[in-house]
Amino acid sequence: MKEEHVKYLEEIAGQDKVLTDIEDKICFGFDSTRLQYLPDVIVKVKDSRQISSILKFANEYKIPVTPRGAATGLSGGCLAVNGGILLVLLEMNRIYYVNPIDLLVEVQAGAITVDVDKAASKYKLFYPPDPGSMKTSTIGGNIAENAGGLRGLKYGVTKDYVNSMEVVLPTGEIIDIGTRTVKSVTGYNLVDLMVGSEGTLGVVSKATLALLPIPPARASLLALFNNLTEAAKTVRDIVAEGVITATLELVDNVTINAIEDYLKIGLNRNVGAMLLIEVDGQQGSVDIEAEVIKKVCAQNNALSCKLAASEKERDVLWSARRAALSSLARIKPSTILEDATVPRSRIVELVEAVNNIAKKYDIMIGTFGHAGDGNLHPTILTDLRDKEEEKKVEKVIEEIFIETVKLDGTLSGEHGIGLTKARFLKLEISDEVYKLMKKIKHALDPNNILNPGKLFVD
Amino acid sequence: MPKTKISEKDDELFSCSRCGACLAVCPVYKQTLDEGVAPRGKLSLIEAAANNKIAISEKLSQKIYTCTLCNYCTKECPSGVKVDELFKAVRGDLVESKKYPEVLDYLKSKIEKAYNITFDTNQGRLDWITQQPDAKFEDYLKETADVLYFVGCVSSFSPRSFPIPRSITQIFKRAGVDFTLLGEDEWCCGFPLYSSGMKDEIVRLADHNIRKVKDKKVKLLVASCPSCYHTWKHDYPKVANEKIDFEIMHISQYLHALIKEGKIKLNAINARVTYHDPCDLGRNSGIFEEPREVIKSIEGIDFVELPSAKLEANCCGGGGNLEYLDPGLSSKIAEAKASEIIGTGAEIVVSSCQQCERTISTALKKKKGEIDYRLKVMDISELILQSML
Ligand SMILES: Cc1cc2nc3c(=O)[nH]c(=O)nc-3n(C[C@H](O)[C@H](O)[C@H](O)COP(=O)(O)OP(=O)(O)OC[C@H]3O[C@@H](n4cnc5c(N)ncnc54)[C@H](O)[C@@H]3O)c2cc1C
Ligand code: SF4
Ligand code: SF4
Repeated sequence: MKEEHVKYLEEIAGQDKVLTDIEDKICFGFDSTRLQYLPDVIVKVKDSRQISSILKFANEYKIPVTPRGAATGLSGGCLAVNGGILLVLLEMNRIYYVNPIDLLVEVQAGAITVDVDKAASKYKLFYPPDPGSMKTSTIGGNIAENAGGLRGLKYGVTKDYVNSMEVVLPTGEIIDIGTRTVKSVTGYNLVDLMVGSEGTLGVVSKATLALLPIPPARASLLALFNNLTEAAKTVRDIVAEGVITATLELVDNVTINAIEDYLKIGLNRNVGAMLLIEVDGQQGSVDIEAEVIKKVCAQNNALSCKLAASEKERDVLWSARRAALSSLARIKPSTILEDATVPRSRIVELVEAVNNIAKKYDIMIGTFGHAGDGNLHPTILTDLRDKEEEKKVEKVIEEIFIETVKLDGTLSGEHGIGLTKARFLKLEISDEVYKLMKKIKHALDPNNILNPGKLFVD
Repeated sequence: MPKTKISEKDDELFSCSRCGACLAVCPVYKQTLDEGVAPRGKLSLIEAAANNKIAISEKLSQKIYTCTLCNYCTKECPSGVKVDELFKAVRGDLVESKKYPEVLDYLKSKIEKAYNITFDTNQGRLDWITQQPDAKFEDYLKETADVLYFVGCVSSFSPRSFPIPRSITQIFKRAGVDFTLLGEDEWCCGFPLYSSGMKDEIVRLADHNIRKVKDKKVKLLVASCPSCYHTWKHDYPKVANEKIDFEIMHISQYLHALIKEGKIKLNAINARVTYHDPCDLGRNSGIFEEPREVIKSIEGIDFVELPSAKLEANCCGGGGNLEYLDPGLSSKIAEAKASEIIGTGAEIVVSSCQQCERTISTALKKKKGEIDYRLKVMDISELILQSML
């Protein structure tokens, strides 16, 4: 990067907001994939006008620009693979207002997810998309990845809560899209085009998000099973019985043992799988739904199905689920978390396929995840410093993807394609669709300066 | 340039998955939103230096030292990375490489010359006694006793902390505790240097202090400063040549014991009270319950927890020498803590650390213009003494 370019960026954002030292580049050069690519310059922006000026400048000199939130991404989306400018949005973290009548909150893109939920909770409202990273991740990152969470089955994912937003287009124009209304059919649905576009079609600067009232009652259940297949069948049957649970999480034996090693809360180490289930709503319906779930569990030979008797018991259960990934992470130096997703009816097959792959390659895989929405997290435990292992892992991942697609599934339920899954994209989408996506990208970003190297390999 | 030794910690460094959980709790990151000083960012720098990808620069050093050593990152880390141990080890390497903040040399020279962290001679350790109208030295400096009270540099030299040793010694007198002090023979425990990576100096200080305490033939040493306590309890046994043959307690534990034994009679105080866990006492030494039980044993107190307490307590900003290295940042952290305290609606915030007490008081004063509140900051010993009177 030329010195005068850095100077110009300093004029836009302020001298102390532009970093070029190697130490800063290293710290801003990774995300939660642990891959590392150094940007040429880091700019911490304050508002959409600054973003716009930077993008216009970048177009003029053909400098790549990569948006970055909190860098908790799991597909390498915020890595500056071609160097250039890393656009850091963390300081744009204002939460403007909560509107308890329209059930809306307006925020800047750098606001931390959990802070938005906290602001809503003052009005007895909540922001439903709750990714495991919500204490650190930004709303902008959530929108760009269309992040999901534990409550996806009943409450959906980020796209279901973005009403409108301010976006800076790759060429620098600042636009407002969407509405503050519950519904709208005015022109193309550009909001949904932007959500999940992984920072390749525009930089989100502000968003108006929908909120929901906190349900008055809830009940949590823990069901234990001999094997994964029976647990997965139960997932299917609960929904078939007409119960849409807030959460329906599956944890396999490898993961149960890892959690017990870590938390020592008395989980039964010998069971094949467990389901953690929560229903919420009005007290009466919660009670009825809990009964239905117990019945379905019994029909599927559950070893036990218990209702958490107190809030404390409930907290223990959910702390166990939340600790799933952490507990696995303690077993081996490297953990690779995938997010293969299939239609709910095919969960059993996916679980079996993953187990077979683990056996075939003699590699440890712990599986847990949002079984209710068909989104599992097969987690590969390994040591990537070992080059042989690294090669093996690549094959394992590829086979998981191939099996997933065969089951009418999708490569990524919530973590995005980004850098790490780009080479698999064509496994799932046809050449025509691939071309269409590239056309859209080209229409919005003719110079390919916004987050190049992501989604598409060519 | 001397190479880092960090490569020995390869496994520990590699275990960090960069998940970012530590960012959500790090006081330094929360105030700066700068990955360059976040726990995860610092680890990435250490890893790069260990693999010789970058030199050990001033800039790297500055980032590593931008840390209160509050240890919340380690507590939060899902992968079990011992972040604090890495940071302390690296501070040692930075000292070896002569890349450390200048202010540490100044601190070191003070401690080497006068055995305390001020410019005063060590006789100044007695000022808080002599400035009391009817104080008699012989009450404080007995040849032998059951209990030795280790006052610590800040409480000995900083007049605004004098109420702490005064309260403690008064409580002891009223409770009939046979106690003594080291007086001029008390040397800095070594924590300010040790935690900054100057690992060698502490041995001489430790050996001297242990010998002097042993001379007093005490059964128990009590410290009111959590960092002194932590150093005595957890570091001296590792570094000193002298063996410790007495018990070591923090004042909150000892007060708890005295109350349980019925040696202290407490009168009611009608107030809403909250408690701030000092990092070196709580997260770093595991002492959470005793101070709370001490406070709750006073009738009339309506005890409220802070939103983040015990293992999850937020740092006051005063730790890790950050106050010397980046006063602006330190006070921003303190102000966030002050807002949290005000939010509880408490009338008294109790701490059991002279440093926290000071940082919190200063931050609260700054808030005075913005928010209307009635709040008193008290050390646990001050609260107990007040309820005894
Ligand atoms: C422990 C852990 C648990 C996780 N759990 C979940 C989970 O349950 N569900 C889930 O969906 N994800 C999960 N994730 C993945 C990750 O947290 C999400 O993808 C999150 O949305 C990323 O947000 P971020 O702010 O960190 O974005 P970053 O990682 O900084 O960026 C992610 C992508 O968004 C783009 N971007 C960021 N900000 C903007 C903006 N303002 N405008 C345009 N583009 C932008 C970047 O260019 C990049 O492509 C988890 C990650 C970890 C480490
Ligand atoms: S919480 Fe632990 S594993 Fe995660 S980024 Fe921080 S140090 Fe690394
Ligand atoms: S010890 Fe505290 S201040 Fe230092 S990096 Fe960890 S959390 Fe941040």
